[in-house]
This record gives sequence, structure tokens and C-alpha cells, in this order.
Amino acid sequence: MSNLALKIEGIGKQYRIGEEKSDTLRGSVSKLKNIFSPNKETFWALKDITMTVDHGSSVGIIGRNGAGKSTLLKIISRITHPSSGRLEIRGRVSSLLEVGTGFHPELTGSENIYLNGTILGMTRKEIKGKYDEIVEFSGVKKFINTPVKHYSSGMKVRLAFSVAAHLEPEILLIDEVLAVGDSEFQKKCLQKMEDASTSGRTVVFVSHNLAAIRSFCTKTALLDYGELKFYGDTGEAIDQYLNLGSMEEDLAAVERRSGTGALKFTAAEFLSESYQPLGAIQSGHHIRVRLRYSSTRPLKDVVVRLQVVTMEGYILFTCNNYHSGDTFDVPAGEGHFDCRIPDLPLNTGRYVLNLQCLSEREVMDEVEYISPFHVEAGNFYSTGKLPSVKQGVLIKHEWTANE
Amino acid sequence: MVEKTVIEASKSKGLSLRELLQYRDLFVILAWRDLRVRYAQTILGLLWALLQPLVTLLIFIVIFGRALNVETGEIPYPLFALSGMAAWSYFSFVLQQSGSSLINAQEMVKKIYFPRLIIPLSKSVTGFVDLLVTLIFLLILMSYYGFPPGWNLLYFPAALIAVVIVSLGAGIWTSALTIRFRDVQHIIPFIVQVGLYATPIAYPSSLIPEKWLSLYYLNPMTGVVDIFRYSLLGEPVRWELVGISLVAGLIIFITGTIYFKSMEKVISDVV
Repeated sequence: MSNLALKIEGIGKQYRIGEEKSDTLRGSVSKLKNIFSPNKETFWALKDITMTVDHGSSVGIIGRNGAGKSTLLKIISRITHPSSGRLEIRGRVSSLLEVGTGFHPELTGSENIYLNGTILGMTRKEIKGKYDEIVEFSGVKKFINTPVKHYSSGMKVRLAFSVAAHLEPEILLIDEVLAVGDSEFQKKCLQKMEDASTSGRTVVFVSHNLAAIRSFCTKTALLDYGELKFYGDTGEAIDQYLNLGSMEEDLAAVERRSGTGALKFTAAEFLSESYQPLGAIQSGHHIRVRLRYSSTRPLKDVVVRLQVVTMEGYILFTCNNYHSGDTFDVPAGEGHFDCRIPDLPLNTGRYVLNLQCLSEREVMDEVEYISPFHVEAGNFYSTGKLPSVKQGVLIKHEWTANE
Repeated sequence: MVEKTVIEASKSKGLSLRELLQYRDLFVILAWRDLRVRYAQTILGLLWALLQPLVTLLIFIVIFGRALNVETGEIPYPLFALSGMAAWSYFSFVLQQSGSSLINAQEMVKKIYFPRLIIPLSKSVTGFVDLLVTLIFLLILMSYYGFPPGWNLLYFPAALIAVVIVSLGAGIWTSALTIRFRDVQHIIPFIVQVGLYATPIAYPSSLIPEKWLSLYYLNPMTGVVDIFRYSLLGEPVRWELVGISLVAGLIIFITGTIYFKSMEKVISDVV
């Protein structure tokens, strides 16, 4: 035991349906219920997880949305209590999923450093010792005595992150998807992870970014439907993950999203040019991606961004109505955006979507790694030939020689 | 030596004073934040803390002091009523603030671990500032009436401890109950309103018929108000009755803490 940072024995988490008061939780729980156990009033978000994490190692956790990754992190960080099993934690745990928690808009940056640092588990003395470093790292020194309500959202994130980055826990938990929205921040997260693991700390990393998992984690756990499907070599875990079929996913119930929520994406559908649902998506076909939404109020100046991402986490291309020059105002209620993509430039393989919606430059909703879909070989070049996979996207082109 | 934490599904964590002590910085800073934020950008600032009890006091002076001519012995009526109001305002502040405290802190509760009891506990500290302001005003009023405090003032720390335990006990109960039953939020104003008259604040407990007294003193705040007056104004008390209040208060405090601990496991799932 002495060399273990975490010892997880038979941990399970059961949610009761109907007892939850919170709207979003109830919503997501009842949706999940249909997947897991259609006739019961409870469902297990996690079932009988047993695994150990060595001191100083970096462990990844992967799985599809709703597989139980975040629940597991919440149990390890002691936010929520397990319904079954036993857990031993050696050392102080802190997590980068709680960036900016407790920030109060009326307080100054400096006051918020103390407030947030204390909430994250630092003592007043520790914060005092690192105060200058934190301020320096945040890059908001000039405004440190200004109430945070006057900060831009970027400044707030930077300040919050520099507080979190100066924690020195023995065990660091990172939920990458909670860092949606700011690629700068994601880079910092990864950097932070690298620093932590080289300085001998234990890191537990939840991510959809398989490339990051591959490069940082020696061992990886694959969760599916709340169960531990595999735990061991990262390469093997990723292979198994890629072989999982696609799961019926309820976009509205995805909890990990950012934005004001005035508009929320509720579904992503793939349609043919004539608006018929597609059984199979093929390279080179003209398709329409229909993004259903529900908005609580009329929105002006709406910008929708759709990104197609590989399972490894690389963004292949971006469709944005701001760039295409199509601007929308949308009424309150349910509706949909359609994005027509002629000559779908994707090779055979599995992909996911990143979605973002802005209104008047403010983020309404942002979700990542959602709606996994499969593309089948199609006649993109009208030659019947396609390059082998992992050679990027397909583009129309012509060759000549010595012309 | 790294600390080791063991979590078992079947066990609720017991009340650990050591852990609460470890988190004392958090406790202090949350109380400080509440204070700092409450009067930010208000012109009158802390004077607001005085205004509410003051208005009630004026109403009491007019209705009970003048119109009904309530008998308060040697003690001038305004001093009598204000000393009671000081204790009662603190109680109602802690009760009301604690009631919604966990819901208001849900962002924190859902994202990090800390002993949840810290949240209602910090409210009892915030309330001290208002209490202090009221007490200073009381002292000013006492010197105006030429009614200086006597040796009984030595009992004042006991009065403070009593009011904190009773208020916290009620606050811990309501904060945990509100998690399960949002209705509690709507019941609290009734408790505060009814309690104001079911406690000897505007009138002395000598107005209550002897046979009802032991029932009357089941209200823990009755005894607390008596101790306040005893220490500040030297009003005689019947300790056997005050004892009933204190025992009732202690029971509320202990059962509240037990109930809170049993709820702690599910708080982050339910808020």
C-alpha cells in the first residue's frame, strides 16, 4: 500500500431518480435512466470499479459521454460520496476541475486570490508565500485591485488558473473537458500536467483528447456504461475505446458544457441534401448537419461554430456562419441550424463534433467531443479510389505534369 | 508523512473537530466574504445592520412601551426592548442566512470537498458584526439613560455562547432540511415572525401565567434573552426556567449536527 496513491475497491455510485431536486441533474438523470435501467427508479452511474494508482504515476480515464468518468473524479475528489465500495487516498487531492470556484464579482482580484486559494485548500500562509508568483503568472497585475466584475472573461480564467496552478497537491485531478472554450487554457492545463508528473506527483486525467492521453499517461482506464472495461497499457485502452460502437447520446443531457445556457444544443443529426435522415454517411456526399437547439430568449447576432474532430482530438475543419457570412437572429423556443457541407471531405473513420454558439459575442453554449459518427468510404474523387486513412481530409484537386 | 483518507460507502463520516480546525481559514474567509459583499456599494454600509432592529424597536416603544404601558420595573423600556432585540436579531439573522446557505453555495459544494458544516458555521460569525453594532448602540442608550452595566457584565460571554449555540443549532437544522425540502425556506420567515412575539423581547416573561411558564421556556431563545438582560441590565432571572431553555437549545444543536452529518453524504447530489 505504501507506494499507492489511490486504492479504489468496488466503488459504485447510484443515483436515485425523482429525489434529485436540481433541474439539470434530474433532466440528465432521467435521460440516463432510459439507457441504463428502463424500469427502475435508480441507476448506477458507476459500478464496481476496482483499480489502484501508483504514487507518482499518470493515469488517464477515457470513455464516451455519460460513461461515468466525471463521477469517478468526483468521488476521488470527495465531492460526492460513493454508494458502494471503499476508497483510500494518500495525500492531498486537488483538481483542476474547480477553476474559479467561489470567485466573487464584487471582490478585487487580490481578494479573490485569497478567497479562491483558501477554498481550494491552501492555508493563508501558503497563499501569502506564493502571492507574487500567482499575480505574475496571471498577467493581470495592473488590475489586481479592481473588482473582478470589471474583468474580461479571459482575465478571470487566467487569474483563476494561476491560483489553481500554484496548488501543490500530492494528487492532481484534471477534467480536461471542463476547460472548454479557451485553447490557451487547455494548453496550460496540459503543461501543468506535464510539470506535475515530472515533479513526481500523481496525476489522474480525464479526457477525450486521445493524443494527450497517449503522450502523458502510462496507464489508462476505459469506462463504459459505468463499468471499468479495461485498465492498463494506454495504447491498448485507446484501441478498445475506438472499437466501442457509437452510443445513443442525448446532447441535451451532456453536463459538461460551458456558456450562459440561454441557448443549448439539444441534438445533432446528419441529413441528406434533401433533408432525409442518413443511414450511412459517405465521403464525397453532400450532407447537411442539423443542430437542434432550444433557447430561452430571442437572440441576436448568432454565430454557430461546428468543428469536425478526430477521435485523437485533432480538429480537421471548422464551419462557422460568421466566416460564411450567414448571420442569424433566432426567436425563443425550439429550432435548428442546418449546415450544408457539399462533397464531405472526410475519409473512412470515426469522428466527433465540437459545437459552439455565440450571441453578440458571448458564449451561449459550448460542448465538445459529442455525437460520434462514422464515415464510410465513398466515391469522393469519382475514381472509386481513396487514400488510406489517417492522411488528413480529402480535397478536390487536379494534377498536371510539364504542362 | 502523507495523510491518508479512507472513504467507505456504508459509513457516514463522524464529526471531526480536527478537520474543522484544519479548515478554519476557509471558515474565516467565507465569513469575511459575506461581510465584505453585503455592504459593498451601499452608502450607509454597516448602518443598515442597525436600521432593521431600530425600526422594530421604535414600533415596540410606541405600542408596548407607550400604548400598552408594559411594566419593566426599574429598567427603562427602550433598554429593555433593545437588549432583547440584540439577541433576537442575531438569532434571526443566523437562522435566515443558514437556511439558504447550502443552496447559495452549491457552486462550491458541487466542485470541491470541504466539511459542509463550515457553510452554516460561517454565518454565525457574520452575524456577530450586526450584533456588535446593536450592542454599541445599546451602550450609548444606556449611558443616555444613566443606566451603566454592573458586575453582571461578567456573565456576558456566557450569554454570547448561549445565543451562538441556539442560533447555530437552529441554523444547522434549517440548512440541512432546506436541502431536502425547499419548503423550509418559506417556513423560516414564519418562525422569525412568530418567535419575535413568543420570546420576551417586547414584554417581560412575568406577564406569562405561572402554569405556562415551563412550556414558554421550551423556546430556547426565551432563556437566552433572559441571560442577555441579566448580564447587561441586571434584570433578575429564574435560573431553573432558563435551564429548560438551555437544555432545549443544546438538544436542538446536537440533533441538528447529527442530522446534518447524515445529510452530508448526499448534499452534493441533491442541491
